[in-house]
Amino acid sequence: MISVRNLGARVGAFHLRDVSFDVPAGGYGVVIGPAGSGKTTLLEAIAGLTPIVSGDISLGSRAVTREPPEDRGIGIVYQHGYLFPHLSVGENIHYGATTDTTTSAQEVTRRLGIADLGDRDVQSLSGGERQLVALARALARRPPVVLLDEPFSALDPKRRALARREVRALHREWGFTALQVTHDFTEAGLLGDVAILLDAGRVLQCGAPDEVFRRPATPYIAEFLGAENVLAGTVRVLRDAPPDFIAGDQSPGTLVPADLASGYHALEFVAGALKIYTVGNAGSGPAYAVIRAEEVSIARTAPATSARNVFRGRIMELSTLGALARVALDVDGMPLVAALTARSADELGLREGEQVWASFKALAVHLC
Amino acid sequence: MQTAPPTPPRQAVYRVISVVAALGSSVLLLFLVAPIAQLVTRGGVSGIRAVGVDADLRGALLLTALTATGATLFGILTGTPLAYFLARTRSRGAGAIAAVLDLPLLIPHPVAGIALLLVLGRDSLAGSWLLKAGLGVVGTPLGIIAAMLFVSAPLYVSGAREAFARVDRRFEGVARTLGDKPWRVMRRVTLPLALRGLVASGVVMWARAVSEFGAIVILTYNPKTVSVLSYDRFTTFGLSEAIPVAAALVLFAVIPLVVLRLLRYERRLDQPW
Repeated sequence: MISVRNLGARVGAFHLRDVSFDVPAGGYGVVIGPAGSGKTTLLEAIAGLTPIVSGDISLGSRAVTREPPEDRGIGIVYQHGYLFPHLSVGENIHYGATTDTTTSAQEVTRRLGIADLGDRDVQSLSGGERQLVALARALARRPPVVLLDEPFSALDPKRRALARREVRALHREWGFTALQVTHDFTEAGLLGDVAILLDAGRVLQCGAPDEVFRRPATPYIAEFLGAENVLAGTVRVLRDAPPDFIAGDQSPGTLVPADLASGYHALEFVAGALKIYTVGNAGSGPAYAVIRAEEVSIARTAPATSARNVFRGRIMELSTLGALARVALDVDGMPLVAALTARSADELGLREGEQVWASFKALAVHLC
Repeated sequence: MQTAPPTPPRQAVYRVISVVAALGSSVLLLFLVAPIAQLVTRGGVSGIRAVGVDADLRGALLLTALTATGATLFGILTGTPLAYFLARTRSRGAGAIAAVLDLPLLIPHPVAGIALLLVLGRDSLAGSWLLKAGLGVVGTPLGIIAAMLFVSAPLYVSGAREAFARVDRRFEGVARTLGDKPWRVMRRVTLPLALRGLVASGVVMWARAVSEFGAIVILTYNPKTVSVLSYDRFTTFGLSEAIPVAAALVLFAVIPLVVLRLLRYERRLDQPW
C-alpha cells in the first residue's frame, strides 16, 4: 500500500502542503489535478527523489520516509520517459534487471508490443514507443510500488488502450500498488480504485473515482472534473414534507425507518428562476448544485417520468462531437446543459431555438 | 493582429544600422584573424621546418605538451567532483566557491605567478615541505604545471559544471529507482551523459595551459615552454627568430580547436528522451 501522511515538500517557490491519502495494497490510485498542482512533485516525494520537509510515507508495511530511493522498492515512469540516451532500448529495459527479473522483462516487453525494439537506438523511437520502453524498464524489476506520471500521454488511441489494458492486467497479476498521474478523466475512471484530486499543492478531495466525480466536494472540483451544470443558489429544507428517502419509492406520508433516513431531507434548491427538488443532508442556506450533463434527459413533449425536476427551455446551442451531442438550454434565463447521444438528438429532431423539455432526477443533484 | 509595415524613413534608419553593424563585425573579425593569418603565412613553413632542426623548439614543444597534459589531468581529477558539487548544489556556499573560482581568470597572469611564488616558493610553508619531499616547484616542470593549473583549471571547472548541469537530474532519479546507489549512478549515467562536455572542457583547459606565459615566466623561466621560448627568441634575437617559434605554437593550438569542433558537431546526449 501507499500511505502518505501530512506530506510537505518544497521545490523552488512551489509547496506541497499537508498531503494525506492511502492507496490500499494492490490498489490503483489516480492523481488528478490541473497543470502545476504538484502531481509530479508528489510522485517524486514518494519515490524519495524530492526531499520532503514534513510528513511520513509508508510503502507496504515499511516506513520509508528516510530511506533512499534505491531501497524503497518503487518504479517510476515519467511522461517524457527519460530513457538513457547512451544506451540501447534493450539496455534501458534491462538497466535495473537482475537474474531473477529477466523473465519479467521479456514478458512485459512482449505484452506491451515492444519486444522487437531491443537493438534500436532510443533517439530513433517515437514519443509513444519511448513511453512504452520507459514503462517496460520500470515494470521489469517487478517493484511492489509503481509510480506513473502520465505514462500513456504520447500514445495513439489504439496503443493507449492496449497499454492501459496490459498495465492493468499486470497490476492484477503481479499485485503491485500503482499511483498514476493523469489528465484523462476517462482513464481515471477506468483505472482507479482511489482518486486523489490535487490543486495548488493540496489534496482537495480523495475517494473512489465514482464518488469524486459524482459528489465533488466543491464547485471548483465539479467544474474541474467537467461538470457543466454548476449552479449557485439557496437551499431550503422542506420541513413540512416527510423525510424523503433516497433508496426506493416511498408513498407520500410513509414513515421512513430512522436508520435509512439518517438525516436526509427533502430539499429545495433555488437558482434564479429554477426550483430544483433534491434530497440530502444539507441545511438551509447558500450552496452550489452540481448536475452532470449526462444526467439531464431531453424530450419534445412534457415527459411522464419519475424524475422530480422537469423544466421547459429553449435550445440555445446544439453541438455534436462524434457520437455525442451537447444541448445548451435556456430555462427562464438560467443555463442548463444536457449531454446525449448524437443519434438521440437526431431522432428527436432537435434544432436551435426550439422549445424542449429537460428532466433529471432529484438524486442526480449533488449539493456542495 | 498584423503590425503596420515600417514607414519609409524608419526603414532607412534600420538599413543604416544593419550596415554599420555588419561593418563593425567585419572589422572585429579582421582584427582577430589578420595577426594570426599573417604569422602563419610568414612563419608557418619555417616553423614546421624548425621543429625538425631546432632541438630547443622540439624540447619546448614536448615540455609544453607534457606539462599541459599533466596540469589538465590533475585539473580533471580534482575539478570534476567540485564541478559536480557546484552543479547540483544551490546554496550561498556553492555560489561563493564559484565566484572564488573565477578569480584566477580575472587577475593578470604575472600577478598570478607572484601569488603562486608566495605559496609554493622555497621560503613558503608548502614550498619548503615539497622541497623536503624532493619536489622543487620554482624552476622545475612542476612549477610550469602549477602555473598552468592555476590559470586554466577554473575554465575546466566552469565548463564541467555546465556539462553536469545540463544532465537532467531525473535521469539520475530514474537510475536510483532502478536500484543504483549514487556512485553507481555517477558511473553509469551522469558521467556518460556529461562526458562530451567534460572532454570539451578538458580540451579548453589544455589549450589555455599551452598558451600560458605570464605565470610560468615568474615560476619557471627555464626549462622553457614554447610561449617562453618565443618570448626569449624575440628579446634575444628579434622578430625574425621569434616568428617560426610563434607560428609553431599557433599550429600546435590548432589541435584542440579541431577536437572541439568535432565534439560540437556530435549530437547532444543530455536531453530527456
